[in-house]
Amino acid sequence: MRNLFNFIIRNSHWLLATLLVAFSFYLVFTHNSYQRSVYLTSANHVTGWFYSLSKDVTSFFHLKKNNQLLLERSAELEKEILVLKDRIDLLTATDSLKVNAFVSDTLPQPQFDFIPAEVVNLSFSGVNNFITINKGSQHGIKPDMGVISAGGVVGVVSVVLPKFSLVIPVINPKFRLSARLKNSENYGSLSWDGTSIGEAQLQELPKHEAFHKGDTVLTSFSRIFPRNLIIGFVSSEGRSKDDNFNTFNIQLATNFYSLQDVLVIDDTYHEEQKMLEETLQR
Amino acid sequence: MKLNYIYEIVLFVVLVLLQTLLLNRISLFGIATPVLYIYFLLKLPVGRNLYYVITAAFVMGLIIDIFLNTPGMNAAATTLVAAFRKNILGLFFEREGYDDFIPGINTAAGPFVRFTIFMVLLHLTLLFFIEAFTLFNLKNTLLRIAASSVVTIPLIIALDSLMFRRKPGEQF
Repeated sequence: MRNLFNFIIRNSHWLLATLLVAFSFYLVFTHNSYQRSVYLTSANHVTGWFYSLSKDVTSFFHLKKNNQLLLERSAELEKEILVLKDRIDLLTATDSLKVNAFVSDTLPQPQFDFIPAEVVNLSFSGVNNFITINKGSQHGIKPDMGVISAGGVVGVVSVVLPKFSLVIPVINPKFRLSARLKNSENYGSLSWDGTSIGEAQLQELPKHEAFHKGDTVLTSFSRIFPRNLIIGFVSSEGRSKDDNFNTFNIQLATNFYSLQDVLVIDDTYHEEQKMLEETLQR
Repeated sequence: MKLNYIYEIVLFVVLVLLQTLLLNRISLFGIATPVLYIYFLLKLPVGRNLYYVITAAFVMGLIIDIFLNTPGMNAAATTLVAAFRKNILGLFFEREGYDDFIPGINTAAGPFVRFTIFMVLLHLTLLFFIEAFTLFNLKNTLLRIAASSVVTIPLIIALDSLMFRRKPGEQF
């Protein structure tokens, strides 16, 4: 008996190790549903603060490049303004023959609102890639909102805390998005196979969909993103899981290595659409 | 002895910050990430209380997990390595009568390098297999283990030879 006790006492550190490892695995497996242990994420106060601090330092080194991007973006918007101005002039021209009696005199409420946010942390060394942004529920961010950058689609908001939120980027194996090729109406499912940070896969395309290098990939039906946002460009033919579908590798339009400023999309119709679809399902 | 604990706490904090703020942003060729924080486990005295070693390893893993949004993964791998640390030490160092001995490149270069290689390989193997539990193919996982080890081991050895330049025989 005494020997048994001695044995247990001598080896009790194994017991401690076993308990701690068991607890770790518990965390690994329960965390698959992201919402549960919200506070054990980089969106919590302490880690968020740390990351903002380090972000302040590193963002300095990207200023030049980001300026360039912003300039390009503003040029694009400028162009759009010109086009829209032309349209307005046309509509309000006094000598127009068209009757404009029923045109409403206020601008329609836009469907999409954009909340600018800054990336405070990117973790993409492993397979579980995440982005932490510095806007949270205080700024009107809700789970399942889309996130884009000047380049293209970034990801979807998953966990929201008052000041920070966590984004699941395109380059996370749990990310799925319906996407289509610009020059055809066929759509497939976008996912990431974990091999390269710059590349995702467009799967489940019809077999007859021909491969053209450089084809633009756009968002298709989605509750989260507006239609026709750029996701990336077709770069090579990928390996399909079966012979019935084609898979293309997509060069992502967003450069995750230098990602700093993002826009969170607030779809004002989202609630209504969701409600409607849920009533139908019932 | 007291100095030892202070030094360990500083090392702990520095390694956590280094890992989360710098090293985890590195992803060479998309596969190789230096995982330096295991260095903390290498530098504890040989005869250090096992509960202390295991608990410290768990806490370190958990903090890193919280920063990287991978709850449990680093904690599990690091705790397991800590649990086997004493047995692994026995493979490379003479144990009797050297309880305060801290493994290092300056004190015992050959055994320390072998010890480092073994510990890093074990840790990364555990870490990447836990991470890849359901998702990815074996080839990719093995490639990542190999590539990350190749980056991590020289980094640890370089760090150790830079940090502990003292006269032979002198103990911390």
